[in-house]
Amino acid sequence: MQRNNIKVIPGALVCEESKLRGDITIGAGTIIHPNASIIAEAGPIIIGENCLIEEQVKIIHRLPFDQQNKDTTPVLIIGSHNVFEVDCTVEAPKIGNHNVFESKCFVGNKVTVSNGCIIGAGCKVTEEQILKENICIFGSNCQMRECIDKPAVSTRKQLLLI
Amino acid sequence: MELQDINYSKNDYVETASGNKVCRQTVLCGSQNIILQGKVIVQAEAIIRGDLANVRTGRYCIISKEAVLRPPYKKFSKGVAFFKLSIGDHVFIGERTLVNATDIGNYVHIGKNCVIGRRCVLRDCCVIEDNTVLAPETVVPAFTRYGGSPGAYISHVPECQADLMVDYTRSYYQHFQPTKLI
Repeated sequence: MQRNNIKVIPGALVCEESKLRGDITIGAGTIIHPNASIIAEAGPIIIGENCLIEEQVKIIHRLPFDQQNKDTTPVLIIGSHNVFEVDCTVEAPKIGNHNVFESKCFVGNKVTVSNGCIIGAGCKVTEEQILKENICIFGSNCQMRECIDKPAVSTRKQLLLI
Repeated sequence: MELQDINYSKNDYVETASGNKVCRQTVLCGSQNIILQGKVIVQAEAIIRGDLANVRTGRYCIISKEAVLRPPYKKFSKGVAFFKLSIGDHVFIGERTLVNATDIGNYVHIGKNCVIGRRCVLRDCCVIEDNTVLAPETVVPAFTRYGGSPGAYISHVPECQADLMVDYTRSYYQHFQPTKLI
């Protein structure tokens, strides 16, 4: 049995009805809504500051099959100011800052997400790749292009109201 | 065609005086802000976020399994404001659908696995197909069928849509019965 080791930094808001499993650290100002599940299967998850994790979100730290036999335990580091909207599934091994994962999107466990990316609603990204900064994925065919405008930074005050 | 009976276990559902049938395995936050007008079915693992703003549904609404009703918000320079979410009569919301709209009219059918973006307005008698993603602030006109990602106009809906939805939601409610113990 894996032991749950959850560390919540003061200032974070974690709903009781969320499902947290494994070794998880939650940064200040992060808000986790009910029914979100964060599962640290392969190693610890560290979530940065001012992230917003909405209902039915699944953040799973799971290794690809070809890397499962290594001895080192990788750490999933999620940066600051990320937004995970309702019902998205994220298995990325590394996530930068200011990313938006819109509703019902899927990010596979071979995709590394840098900074300022937007994964549109219902888009699936599974191929092994590193998403460049400010990439926007949208539409039914998951087209990709660079965002023109800078990602909006929501202040802590705005976040607290969401 | 007559609908088949949909049975549920009596212990799992609560029936109110006005005929609402609400599953116990739902997440209803801020229940003082949720108004269900009567004869509404809320199925297992649906989420209604009344703690963010008021949520009001009309009569004969069906909220399927794992659907999420979430009042929309808008970011302003000084902060965030939430808008109330109101839903008309005889509305069907499919499984795993996320509703972030401000206003949904009467006799609306929303399919499975849809995303209704923030502050959308769905007028009376419109149909949203399965797996549609409506972009934020989309206005769906009356008697139209929308689908795709991002959601766009597909075709018109016949004028009898209102009667069809009344029949459908009524018979769904009538056939949603507890399993009888023999």
